[in-house]
Amino acid sequence: MPLKPLKLAVIGGGPSAFYVASRILSLVPNANTSPPVRVHLFDRLWAPHGLVRYGVAPDHPEVKNCTHKFDATASDPRFRFFGNINIGDAITPISHTHKLSLSSIFNSYSHVLFATGCTLPTLHSALPPSQHCIPALSLVHWYTQHPNRSPPPALDKISHVSLIGNGNVSLDVARMLLTPVSTLAQYDVPESVLDVLSRSSVRHVSIIGRRGPLEAAFTTKELRELINLPDASMVPIEPSFLKPSPDLTLSRQQSRTLQLLSKGSKNAFGSTPKTWSLDFYRSPTGLIVDPSDPTTAELSLAHTMVDPRTQRAVSTGESSTLPTSLVVTSLGFHGEPTASFYDPGLGHLRTLGARIITNEGHALKNMYASGWAATGAKGVLASTMMNAYAAADTVLGDVLPDREPEEPKVLVEDILLNPNPDLDGVPREVAQGLKEGSVTQYGDWKKIDEEEIKRGQAVGKERERMNWEDARKFLETVRDRSPH
Amino acid sequence: MSNLCWRANILSRSLPNCDRQLSLIVRRRITTKSAVTQSPISLSSRPRCQSPGAKSRLAWRDWFSSSQIRAIHYSPVTRHGGIERPASGTGIKVHFKDSKGSLIKTVEASEGDDLLAIAHEYDIDLEGACEGSVACSTCHVILTPEYYDQLPEPDDDENDMLDMAFGLTDTSRLGCQVKLTKDLDGITATLPSATRNMFVDGKKPTKH
Repeated sequence: MPLKPLKLAVIGGGPSAFYVASRILSLVPNANTSPPVRVHLFDRLWAPHGLVRYGVAPDHPEVKNCTHKFDATASDPRFRFFGNINIGDAITPISHTHKLSLSSIFNSYSHVLFATGCTLPTLHSALPPSQHCIPALSLVHWYTQHPNRSPPPALDKISHVSLIGNGNVSLDVARMLLTPVSTLAQYDVPESVLDVLSRSSVRHVSIIGRRGPLEAAFTTKELRELINLPDASMVPIEPSFLKPSPDLTLSRQQSRTLQLLSKGSKNAFGSTPKTWSLDFYRSPTGLIVDPSDPTTAELSLAHTMVDPRTQRAVSTGESSTLPTSLVVTSLGFHGEPTASFYDPGLGHLRTLGARIITNEGHALKNMYASGWAATGAKGVLASTMMNAYAAADTVLGDVLPDREPEEPKVLVEDILLNPNPDLDGVPREVAQGLKEGSVTQYGDWKKIDEEEIKRGQAVGKERERMNWEDARKFLETVRDRSPH
Repeated sequence: MSNLCWRANILSRSLPNCDRQLSLIVRRRITTKSAVTQSPISLSSRPRCQSPGAKSRLAWRDWFSSSQIRAIHYSPVTRHGGIERPASGTGIKVHFKDSKGSLIKTVEASEGDDLLAIAHEYDIDLEGACEGSVACSTCHVILTPEYYDQLPEPDDDENDMLDMAFGLTDTSRLGCQVKLTKDLDGITATLPSATRNMFVDGKKPTKH
């Protein structure tokens, strides 16, 4: 009996997509005795690696070491990457991307896996985006030069930033605002971003959370980095917040967080030009801007406490206001609501055991999801990797003759996918984009990657990023020089 | 026959066994040519056993040695995939076990080698996403108490990562931070159990 082919389209080119591809390609040898395998990644961005390129904070270069493994995966001849391709209907499409319908994918592939992540910021109901209130994602997109072109913040006109939410993204933004520019200049921070940061007049960053230190979303690593900043100091925390009730059993991370917070920042509060604070037990209720002085706004905060029964933040009835120049909301992320199989209640795709679940609750055959698209925006790279490996095992369980299919086993037969696709064919639109030079492949990325590092080294930094216009121009010159 | 092949592959590690000589040659070439030399042809045809990212790492080293910014755990990275296997019978013995406690392999390594590098050298399925820079928890291993107690205490950076490790125990360490000494001969490193995403999919995020 001939072996069933696995021609997998992965929608998304971030870490989850690469870990799935890596696992599949490494577990199925490229040999005649194995089922024929192809893994094609499609990304709406022109560059691969998703949040590793467009999310990881510039001062965490070590986290980006995972791209070496992705490079190794991409060197497998059964792997292909296609960038600049937007599949389905995005709410905020990137202008230069090629549009590709899901049905074109279904016609050309035997299996599909969604690794589309959670690309949209969750907003605060009392804080609609405005001139004085932006999502943290806009800042992340600005300092990573994401193709959706977030405008630079007017840091030269503001002195006080209020971050709503105290997860790691919030702390990343705080660090970008408080770290000496000379330090950041050596990392993967674009020159245009360094220009803005060097003109920054931000003096204080408030990091506001509804609950207390025990419930804070940041990790000890990120907290420690803030605490050790050379030019900034932390407002001491109200000692009673750091004394949990004796009947509570603290997790290891909770005890270590309390220890760190009790010690305070490396620099004594007030001894530095910049300061920051963790404002626990505060929940924003609105932002008022005085029309006569648009540089300052008043952030209204309800005072809260943690209900010991539900662990939720509840109002104490008290409130206060905080004068601030810019409010940055950092409250998590969700998927694109227009995506197929999106569950608005969950904020991500509806899945079970990496399989896509329909509105009616049926698991679909040969359709999968992994990473944040499947689990929601939580967890670090290690959890994404484990999740991706489990998803790869589910895919392989359906394909490899010696494996049992993974749960759930009752599947709705698909009529959409192509069980016997042309193994090396690509959808017509992709072929057209490749001919025009507007669809990128992994080899293109590696040339750009090398050039970015080279341009960075010339000015003493990790890399100097290109945007798509630079990259396209550069690729044209490289292609002109090559004999083809 | 193919059944056997599959199982062997699933149990052991993805990458084919490394020819150390070859990998050293590759590395030397990259050193002399410095950072950015790889052509698209060598991208697709380069030997699988090349320690991934050797190129960038070298670039990083140049960069860091010329600029004193802040301490980044760097030194262990350079060795991965390139440690010397001692002659059989002369090295320090390390037992790797899977999450169920079954022995995967007993291997020999030299003083100073770390468990992540050893695992990579012998194709044990231990990940090192950040390549030993203490920026992830993918090389989490569980030791037995008698060996755990012989090790120097984990530093703050390692503890920060262990906070995030899945299936943390009292004798957990990051493999990249456990360096062999003669006293550790016979050490057992157990890989933690992996999660099944069955249990996390569809779970609502906790409300703050």
